[in-house]
Parts: sequence; C-alpha cells; structure tokens
Amino acid sequence: MADPFDSLKTRHAGLQLAQDEGLRLRELMRAYQSGRVEAFDELYAALAPALRRYLLSHARDAARADDLVQETFLQLHRARHTYDAAYPVTPWAMAIARHVRLMDRRTQSRRPWAPEDVTELVLPVRGEAAAYAERTDVRRALGHVEASRRAAIIQHHLLGWSFKEIAAKAGIAETAAKLRSSRGMAQLRALLKGPEKARKPQKAQMAQRAHKP
Amino acid sequence: MSVPTELRARIEADYEPVRPLPAPRVRAISLLPLAALALLAAPTFFNVRSDAERIGWLLTWGASLGQVALGFIVITAALRESIPGRAWSTAALAAWIVIPFVLLTAITFTTSELSQISLQRGWWLVGLVCVGGSAATALPIVALANVLAARAYPTRPAIAGLLLGVGAGLMADAGWRLFCHFGEPSHVLTAHVGGLVLAALSSAALAIRLKPDTTSESLGGVRL
Repeated sequence: MADPFDSLKTRHAGLQLAQDEGLRLRELMRAYQSGRVEAFDELYAALAPALRRYLLSHARDAARADDLVQETFLQLHRARHTYDAAYPVTPWAMAIARHVRLMDRRTQSRRPWAPEDVTELVLPVRGEAAAYAERTDVRRALGHVEASRRAAIIQHHLLGWSFKEIAAKAGIAETAAKLRSSRGMAQLRALLKGPEKARKPQKAQMAQRAHKP
Repeated sequence: MSVPTELRARIEADYEPVRPLPAPRVRAISLLPLAALALLAAPTFFNVRSDAERIGWLLTWGASLGQVALGFIVITAALRESIPGRAWSTAALAAWIVIPFVLLTAITFTTSELSQISLQRGWWLVGLVCVGGSAATALPIVALANVLAARAYPTRPAIAGLLLGVGAGLMADAGWRLFCHFGEPSHVLTAHVGGLVLAALSSAALAIRLKPDTTSESLGGVRL
C-alpha cells in the first residue's frame, strides 16, 4: 500500500535540496568575494544554465543568449561587492541578467546591426566604396585600416552613429572623430585602389600644382 | 557548464578580493552630519521663525526632526533600491514618494491653523527664495547620497536617484521651514514642496549621469 505521506516527503526533500543549494551558492559567493577566484567556476556551473534559459527566452537566438550570459557574468564580477551574504544569490544574479538584457535591447533598438568582428561584417557596400571593389575587398582593406580610424568608419558609415556619439564613446572631441573617419576613409580608398593606383593621383596632383602659377 | 576561456581570462586579469558593501542603513548614516548641517544652517544663519513660540516645540523642532528621520528612511530605501535584486515593487515605490508629501501636507495644515502669517506682497520673490534655498541646501546631501548609490550597481538609477532626492529634499526643508514663518499652505505647498521636487529631479539626473558604465570594452558590439 502506498504511503499517503510519500508526496509530502518528496516535496520536503525537494525543498531541502533547494535550500542546501542556496546555502552552497551563498558560501561560494562569499568565497569569491574574499579572494578565491576558483569559486567563480562553481558559481558559473550553478548559475549559467538558469541565466541562459532566462536570456534565451528573450533573445530567441542561442548565440546571442550565450553572449549575454558571458556579459552577465562579467557584470556579476564587477558588481560582486554588492552581494550581501544574508540574501540568496539567485535573485541578485537574475537582477543583473535582467539589466544586461535590457541594456542589450536598448542597444539593439538604437543600433539594430552590431557585428562582432570586422571579418564577419556583411558590408552594405554603397556610394563610392561600391565603385572601388567587391565586398570582400572592402572587408579585407578595412582590416588594414588603423584601428581607431576603422572604428570611426564602422560606427559612422555602417552603424550610423553621429560624430557626437562616436566622440562621446571614445572620449575625444567631435572634430577628432570626424578627422578619424575622413582619414580612415582616405586610407581605405588608397588601400582599395592598390599601391600603384594610389600613387598615380598623387603624382597627377603634384604635377598639377607645379603647373599652377 | 564550464567557463568559456575568454571569460575566465578576463575575470582572472581583473580579479581581486572585495569587501561587501555595508547594509544600506549603515551607509546612510554617513549622511547624518550633512543632514544635521541642513537642519541647523537656516535657523543659525538667519533666525528661528518668529512664530516658533506660538506653534510650540512639537511643530517647530519636533516636526523638523520628524522630517529628517523620514528623509533618512527614504534615503536608506533608495540605497537599498540601488542594490541588484533588492529593488522595491511599484506599490512600495509609490508609498516612498507619497508618504513624504502626505507628511509635509499634514505639517503644513496643522501649522497654518495655529499661525496665520501670510504673504502680503512679494509672493514670487519669497517663493523663489524658498525654492532655491531648500533645493540648494539639499544639493550636498544629493551629491553624497548619489555617490553612495553609484558605488552599488543601480539597475534603475533614475528611480534610485529620485528617491535619494526626495529624502535629501525632506532633510533640507526640515531646516528651511524652521526659518520661513510664512506658513500659509499656498506658499509651503508650492515653494517648499517645489524645492523638494527640484532636488528630486536634479538627483535623478545626477544618478543617471553617475551610473557606472555597464558595457564591456566592446564599442557598439564592435571589437576594437
């Protein structure tokens, strides 16, 4: 005959397990705060699945959810001093994950297209760039443009940021951001033309200047 | 699940032991010297209101001390709000905003029943002095409280800042009302409450400004 208290016992055991897990997480978090970096691995193993599930339910894209999980753990690391061991870890971690998700959504809504790497860019080649080369050439050439100029080109011409936004993000003056972008474009043009083609117009310009009265 | 190598490397590169933040009420205690200064500044530099004797100790110093105490509680609530996972519910937030205004209104009407000093002229000028005076008195508290909040990880900085401003405004008005004897409700509920609202709005703006940068090193998702 079945024990009428079976379901109650199972439920009690489940609660006990959850309580133990909660206490273990608190101990791990306390250890992580006090200088045991190895505790991070265990925290990651315990929290990542739940955080991933939560972030996946919003991102609806596994790769994006994985990125957000990593970002969440970076933020957990930065905010580790705000954790109070008197309270459970999971709500604290979930609040940070929610914040990361909201920040990501805000970024996405402002800049719907934000590639991870220059080599992964699907370039909407347009304007004068289209006249110079195929997309792969542009992508390759962009990889050779000096880093700060490349950033300015990508942000302004591809992501549609204003120079004011670029300047604010890089901590430079607006004119410096414009300069980076225009010099970067000049460098890109030169790279796309190739060394020979790039030299020709310069020679022609010099010759023109020499003939001027 | 194992930690991705890149994440592990970044954590290790930046890792050092940290001391957990003290409880919000403990951190709020560091604001008490400024609160005492705000309470005593106006009555010391100018004078205690001329009708102090008529309205009695309870409605002068007693009510002001009550305002300081409530301000302290609201600031503690705001510091709690700035900790992840400890955010207040919408109903609780509404209560934190409404209760101070109810208290101010109650004190105002009780005081005005006992003392009928009304403004005969210069309504605008006196109003501006009271708005500016109480908002300016609140500013040091707003600044320090926002620094305390930013040390946590405010996920809703505007709300935390607004609450901090309400608390600071209450503390500042506690001192200002000890000097200003124009107790008619139309003056108090516009000028004095106006100063509190100004403090709250400027605090919310400051909190947004001071919010720690929570983006990783990538710029707009582009690795530079």
